[in-house]
Amino acid sequence: MQGYSVEKLTLLKAGRSCGLLHRQMTPPRTLPFTPSDQLRGRKLLFVSGKGGVGKTAVSQALALARAREGKRVLWVTFEDPLRPAGELRQVPGPKGLWQLNCDATRAFEEYAALKIGMAPLTRVFLRNKLMQYLAKAAPGIHELVLLGKVWHERLNYDQVIVDMPSTGYGLAMFQSTENFRTLFKGGPLFRDAEQMLRTFSDPAQTGLLIVALPEEMPLQESLELHEFLLALFPENPSGFIVNRLFPRVTGPAEEQASPPDSWPTPHATSVGEYLRKRSILESANLRIWSGAGLEYAALPYVPPAPGQSFDTLVEALSQELSR
Amino acid sequence: MSQTPIDSILARRKILITCGTGGVGKTTLSAAIAMRAALLGRRAVVVTIDPAKRLATSLGLEGLGDHATDLTPLLRNALAKMPASGLNGVPGSLHAIMPDTRRTFESFIRELAPSEALARRVMENPIFQIFAKEFSGANEYMALERLFTLERQSEYDCIILDTPPSRDTLAFLDAPKLLVQFFEERLIRWLVLPANKIVSAGMRKALGILEKLTGAGFMTNLFDFASALFEVRARFSANLNAITRLLESPRAGFIMVATPGTIGGGEVRHFLESVAKHGFHFDGVALNRTLGHLKALPGEPEYPEARAVLRGLQEKEGAALSEALGQARRGGDDIPVCARLPELARDVHSLEDLLHVSLAFGPLRPEA
Repeated sequence: MQGYSVEKLTLLKAGRSCGLLHRQMTPPRTLPFTPSDQLRGRKLLFVSGKGGVGKTAVSQALALARAREGKRVLWVTFEDPLRPAGELRQVPGPKGLWQLNCDATRAFEEYAALKIGMAPLTRVFLRNKLMQYLAKAAPGIHELVLLGKVWHERLNYDQVIVDMPSTGYGLAMFQSTENFRTLFKGGPLFRDAEQMLRTFSDPAQTGLLIVALPEEMPLQESLELHEFLLALFPENPSGFIVNRLFPRVTGPAEEQASPPDSWPTPHATSVGEYLRKRSILESANLRIWSGAGLEYAALPYVPPAPGQSFDTLVEALSQELSR
Repeated sequence: MSQTPIDSILARRKILITCGTGGVGKTTLSAAIAMRAALLGRRAVVVTIDPAKRLATSLGLEGLGDHATDLTPLLRNALAKMPASGLNGVPGSLHAIMPDTRRTFESFIRELAPSEALARRVMENPIFQIFAKEFSGANEYMALERLFTLERQSEYDCIILDTPPSRDTLAFLDAPKLLVQFFEERLIRWLVLPANKIVSAGMRKALGILEKLTGAGFMTNLFDFASALFEVRARFSANLNAITRLLESPRAGFIMVATPGTIGGGEVRHFLESVAKHGFHFDGVALNRTLGHLKALPGEPEYPEARAVLRGLQEKEGAALSEALGQARRGGDDIPVCARLPELARDVHSLEDLLHVSLAFGPLRPEA
């Protein structure tokens, strides 16, 4: 479930040294950004990032914060294994918060019905073995209809906040919309793909938000994601949330005197050494980050208490985001 | 003293396949296992399928690519700088390959196609171009192809395959099945029937709707692509069968790479069931990025806030592990944890760093 176009990223590869983020970058055209700015006024908000960075918690926390303001919000997940496929439910808590667990097969059927119009014809089409095969085998068709579903839903809510699948697959979703625009010259599918792309590239309608971790690879990967999205939507630069910052225990002098590259081993052997190194590493990474002219909002590592549920974490993040 | 678990696995397998979602450190871990095999006297190669070329970045080796790069001299240097390891010399060898999936895919089409003209026709087709880039399964298939070739060449006696990054641990296991579906002959045949052949009314109607939705240009490309597929399908299926047999053989073992944060929610069980269903051999869970071993030393600064976060993570880790392993055990399986590697304070930047990781698997005693 991946395969974003690597060619577009080669720009980033030049100038990379020793695995850190020392590299030439195209000057990012980032808008002045805070998560709350990003939240306002945009119908669609895509929250992307690599697997394991906390996208689900952050996107749900954003949705929760927004619903608390009295807005009608749809939080979209893609094939969340914890919820039934295709389910639309009201999330317990503030009025007006809904979760849609998008399912590709269902979205495809809905989309076909919408496009074909007449029920008997739709049935012929969907029951046809060859069409079923094409729908399954054609790369990108699932991604296209899933995004199409989200695009359509924006009309029914004040805001739609989307928990995108992990980087590769998430990128593929945007990429395939672009692919289909190229493949289908003319015809209703072409027009839909084109309109979707227009909405996604319009900063007045769509917000692109990247969740990153203050570690080396994840930060690097979120920069790549940023470049990739910028190549697809040059007019609509992404905003960043750096998630899970450890409390800083080192000062600038120590950070300068002992940069990560000078450590003889990548390991840490005691609690104190780990926390110190972690603090130096995060500060160094964030310096590179802001040195590249990227603005970000930061979220602290929410200490997981024993037996704490996911909802408690979402609640804590949502408080942070509303501050 | 018994052998370090990963070493006894290396002793009984020629091929190890590592599976895991993004962010668990699969690529570094795979390279560290291959390095360990070299230190044990094997002719080892690590194959990593990654469009973003992370292995090259983390080792500081821009030259890594489609051809095998000999890392043995670098490993010798790294070892010389670490007298504390107690090891003197590398009895085996270490190579790394980062296949260029696009090129592999094209050479593969060339090999399958009966004529150069057909190969070119396939590659010029816009559907193919997108397919090669986007099809979930294409990278996985290329990885298997490469594995198969390496296995036959017998240049190496230990192959570590780092599977393509995916959001799902099972993606790699299911890839061959996906491809078989793709080449489902009965259905492709429909698309290659000459236009004047008698087609059922339902089929004609369905194709008509599709054409209306997608435009005529797409249909032409689709028919063309399908007829090309039709011509290569037989050899493709034969290849796939041979590869599947190799994966099922006791020469190959599967390792699930997980972190304390990703191990929960029945992931291990799912993986186990899927491996069993395919008739593959499961060699255990490699736990990466653990924090549980970190202890406070007397006299260390307090750092109360930071320590509270770390303590929280350590507690969560303990709970996640006992839950995941307990769950799997209730299902009737005793899950072997084949490795437990600590979270690194910073990323791996060199072969020397990788050597540190490789030695963290446990005491290393080269085979007699």
